[in-house]
Amino acid sequence: MTASKKIVLLGHFGVGKTSLIRRFVENTFSEDYQVTIGVHISKKTIEIPEQESISLIIWDLEGQDDLKKTRSSYLLGTNGFIYVFDSSRPLTFENLNSELKFLKENYPNVPVKVVGNKMDLVNKTYLAQYSSVFKPLVDFFVSAKTGSRIETLFSKLAKELI
Amino acid sequence: MNQDEKLSIIKDILLTDEREFVSSIENKIKILENTVNKRDNLSAKVNPIIDEKLKTFIKEIPDTLGPTITEALKEEIKNSKDAVVEALFPILGQMVKRYVQHEMKLLSEKINNQVNNTFSFKRFFRKTKSKASGINESDLILQEQTNTKIEQAIIIEKGSGLVLAEFSKNKMADEDMVAGMLTAIKSFVEDAFKKESQNLQYIEYDLYHIHLQNFSSFYIAIVVSGAYNIIYKDKLEDKILKFASNQKVISTLKNKALLTKKLEDFFKNDGI
Repeated sequence: MTASKKIVLLGHFGVGKTSLIRRFVENTFSEDYQVTIGVHISKKTIEIPEQESISLIIWDLEGQDDLKKTRSSYLLGTNGFIYVFDSSRPLTFENLNSELKFLKENYPNVPVKVVGNKMDLVNKTYLAQYSSVFKPLVDFFVSAKTGSRIETLFSKLAKELI
Repeated sequence: MNQDEKLSIIKDILLTDEREFVSSIENKIKILENTVNKRDNLSAKVNPIIDEKLKTFIKEIPDTLGPTITEALKEEIKNSKDAVVEALFPILGQMVKRYVQHEMKLLSEKINNQVNNTFSFKRFFRKTKSKASGINESDLILQEQTNTKIEQAIIIEKGSGLVLAEFSKNKMADEDMVAGMLTAIKSFVEDAFKKESQNLQYIEYDLYHIHLQNFSSFYIAIVVSGAYNIIYKDKLEDKILKFASNQKVISTLKNKALLTKKLEDFFKNDGI
């Protein structure tokens, strides 16, 4: 029987959480920005090599500039977090340290993947400029627009959850 | 006789016909002016022509303008579906409402006739039940005649919203998504009212009623179609509580296959 795991995506408004999920679940992308209100739930079952399949129940929460403002009941029973920021907007990752600290303190046993989205909008020089922030904290740089590294992100997290 | 007088006589002789012609033209112009400048006279002349032209134009509209108008309307409807729905909704809503009211009236009359004209043990039993419960006898008959069905039953983990077991007669919707959304809605409502001891117990969606029964670490969602009233709710609550205690749900929460089997065995019949 396929196991189900709850994945919650967190991050500021407009960082591309919904686009990232849509790329992963439906393999589609749209430039039109529609703000998420409350929560939207998606599901995708993935096969883990030499393991069973796993159903990821993905909770796409509305953006918040501070994790403390997120409705805590939405985070109950989470098996894995994906913290998303917009690589091209420093405002969305300037408090990364404190946001991750909040997650580690309140959900100590839940794995967290830190993801910089919109990689298609930045270049190497820009990344180097923020390397002191990115290097120790960021797990993946992805692009919902091109689909780059999104499958890898979810399958790596899924493997950690089994 | 001087030169001018002679010339005048010659003119009279030579131009008599022309003068008469000029005079007749002057008269005709006066008549025309009278016709054009006076509204009544002009109307009398022009109206029959316009009427005739209009009749022809109206007759020819389907052939001449019809295809253009149809095409324009089609395009307009295609481009603004929401606006069309907005415009039609109140009209259709009223029509449906009137139809339903009419049908309900007929049904009510039928039931009243049935109540008044029949005598049986069943009726006696129903009357006693009506008096005891305070529910109108017609409502009881309605309940007897309405086909209430359990469409889906889901056991959902509190907090995470993950499905612990599920049974459905017809695959209505993905149980994981339904469970997730129900949990999110429950969390939102319960947070909003900020009363931990209170739980969301019921959601109505389209033709379905979703009954939510809360336990300590999980809750059970039963999707019902048909009439869902206070009597049915009470019976369903009893049935769920019986399921939870008799089937030892708490001890089998980790065993999805076994719990699913128990859920199916218990809820596959509609009778409660």
